[in-house]
Amino acid sequence: MRRAGILLLFALILSACGGGGGGTSTAPAGTPKTGGTLKIAQETEINTLDPNTSGLLVEREIYYNLYDSLLGIDAKLNFIPELATAWKYTDDKTLVLSLRKDVKFQDGTGFNADAVKFNLDRYMTSTDPAAARKSDLASVQSVEVQDPATVVIHLKRADATLLAAFVDRAGMMLSPTAVQQLGIKVAQTPLQAGSGPFEFVEWKRDDHLTLKRNPDYWRKDKAGRQLPYLDQLIYRPLIDLNAILASLKTADVDMARTVAGKDVEAVRSDSTLVYKDTPGLGYQGFELNVSAPPFNDPAKTKAVALAVDRAQILKNVVFNNGVLSYGPIPPASWAADPSEKIYDKPDPEKAKATATGFSFTLKTANTQDSIQTGQLIQAQLAKAGITVNLLPEDFAKLTLETRVQHQFDAALTGWSGRIDPDGNMFAFWHTGGSFNDGRYSKPQVDQLLEQARTTTDQAKRKQIYQEAQRIIVGDGVYVFTHHLNVAQISTKKVQNFMLIPDGINRLAEVWKS
Amino acid sequence: MLEYITRRLGLMVPTAFLVTVAVFLLIHLTPGDPATVILAESYTPEAGAQIHKDLGLDKPLPEQYLLYVGRLFHGDLGRSVRNKLPVTQAIGERLSATLELGFAALIWSLLIAIPLGTVAALRRGRALDVVASGLTVAGISVPNFVLGILLILFFGLLLRVLPVGGFVALGESVPDNLSRLIMPALALGTFGTASNMRFTRSSMIEVLNQDYIRTARAKGAGWWQVVNRHALKNALIPVVTIVGLQVGAILEGALVTETVFGWPGVGKLAVESIFSKDFPVVQGIVLLSALSFMFANLLVDLVYAWLDPRISYS
Repeated sequence: MRRAGILLLFALILSACGGGGGGTSTAPAGTPKTGGTLKIAQETEINTLDPNTSGLLVEREIYYNLYDSLLGIDAKLNFIPELATAWKYTDDKTLVLSLRKDVKFQDGTGFNADAVKFNLDRYMTSTDPAAARKSDLASVQSVEVQDPATVVIHLKRADATLLAAFVDRAGMMLSPTAVQQLGIKVAQTPLQAGSGPFEFVEWKRDDHLTLKRNPDYWRKDKAGRQLPYLDQLIYRPLIDLNAILASLKTADVDMARTVAGKDVEAVRSDSTLVYKDTPGLGYQGFELNVSAPPFNDPAKTKAVALAVDRAQILKNVVFNNGVLSYGPIPPASWAADPSEKIYDKPDPEKAKATATGFSFTLKTANTQDSIQTGQLIQAQLAKAGITVNLLPEDFAKLTLETRVQHQFDAALTGWSGRIDPDGNMFAFWHTGGSFNDGRYSKPQVDQLLEQARTTTDQAKRKQIYQEAQRIIVGDGVYVFTHHLNVAQISTKKVQNFMLIPDGINRLAEVWKS
Repeated sequence: MLEYITRRLGLMVPTAFLVTVAVFLLIHLTPGDPATVILAESYTPEAGAQIHKDLGLDKPLPEQYLLYVGRLFHGDLGRSVRNKLPVTQAIGERLSATLELGFAALIWSLLIAIPLGTVAALRRGRALDVVASGLTVAGISVPNFVLGILLILFFGLLLRVLPVGGFVALGESVPDNLSRLIMPALALGTFGTASNMRFTRSSMIEVLNQDYIRTARAKGAGWWQVVNRHALKNALIPVVTIVGLQVGAILEGALVTETVFGWPGVGKLAVESIFSKDFPVVQGIVLLSALSFMFANLLVDLVYAWLDPRISYS
């Protein structure tokens, strides 16, 4: 009942968000056609096929077509059943999952509660230094198999973010038999390890990765036809955005997630291509190091936030392929409040009155977009009498200096975003958080972020996150500029594609005309 | 001869040693932390420290170097920090693609350069010479990535006669492999074509003015025989030197060309490894490039002896 209430509230919030929330889909032209190969360009090569050690967005692109998660999301970010048919908190620290009984892994073994326990235990106890799911499952005490179709998850503390983690890699289920047989090879050649719509064929690094249709996939479409429709997926890493566009134009690839911002208008008007976008879950902007001068003076952080012209950055750098950002909560989220606009229009006069006549170094990645953004900020702050010294750096150096050494005044960084607001906030602004580069620390914010984690009522969580967001944005510790759109660009042949704000292509129901 | 080869091979050992020191220092002194790249959005200070420990990055630099060299003696180039594959495997998987591209680029540069250079020398100052020289200036001036993009625009997007990038193994489909090879080979080989043509031309002009050419003609030898047997063979000695040096240029050019065309060779691997601070792979590739450069130079010296019997290494 409570869940139904939450979902209803969810729907109301999303409809109130107007165009902000939800995805877009191509209207299917006629009856789905079975067969064919879909070639997909990826903007970087992946490192691993094991969700346990995955740290890249592009890896999720492949995983969602290879593995099934416990839970899914729809275009409006509502949780929907996937391997779990129902989920219920019996108390704050006990989550009960009911599982599908008709799912087989690609190696023929059955999916059941034992498999869930195996996978979650594997993620939680992995000794691999790159194990990344441990922190997603930090609140889990133990996993109990109640019967083959029921799993009880006992928690150390209430954790409202766990369901979102189960949509992502922490909820991806691999065949225990395959994982044990493959050993470390699961990261390179996960043969028959998943239960998803496609199964692994081969991976030739830096060239292509091939998946083929899983003939025994458990899902069917609304008309009862077996999914997936496509026979084969071929992912090709093309790190040059011009090469991606050229390959789309010549139909050397059928689909891509990104083209250069400058090319978007031309792609939109290209009659041979389809361009779709929706605001994503991440945010862009720059962080200020509040643990050292000059930004240990709150007046100076505020002056910077007041002087920045977000609309100019959005227009000139990303060609309006995004929306203005007023905080870490993305517009598609149930926790968003479109009326909340601290530091909306630039106000250099007010900034000058707050603090002026100081200078700082803004570190950026040495990419064209980052440098251009830095130059705009430099010119904007000059109007308020603030001098910005730009320092473009190699990305690895920038990450080292901000994340590890905390040696910076200000740094242009962004975040790809998570489904739950916790993933966009806790690690960044909680005292000692792993992404809290600027060493921000405010007991009130800590308390709110902790409270939101242990509150399961979504309406209440929304209030808490908005309060936390108001404080964080107000303090100017991070100057939010925009939320980038996630996009999908394809040739006209690609049908029935649903774009979800997490920007990940799920291809079980896609077909080629 | 054998003694000469042995001595040259022996000299490669200290050179290779110096290369390993230089590469090791360069890659470890550039700022950045592989742990932040490996962990990306999953980074925590604890996980970062664990990765340092696992990769041996917590040890002092001299100790890390000694361990590295120790492993080298066992033929172990280490493992990629990105995907944990042995470096030898990572490079081995891509070597054939780079060799194919490099070979095609070299063939392209020689097939065009030598006949064109010869003809330009024989028709010195005439229209053909001016046109050929003009083209070579253009060929030398245009960087290979610019040429690559122009080729993609013209043949890939405008005429749509060639695929814009990617790779299909020779074993899978010969026509598909060759159609994807043409543009990157042209882009990579054109600089060499231009410089080889200029060297052939100037060298031929010099040789054609020699007394023995005049003598040969005076003795009644045919024009073609004089050009082919007497002039060209002698004119090619400096060209061979340049071609040897081009092996290095081709490896260097492959970095950019392979990236532009999505050609899955060692060059593309190097670029990706540099960006992701995958230092064992970068070290392996630089060492491989240095060795191939040294072998190419040795080969050049041996070819000299074949071209000019007066040169002897015994």
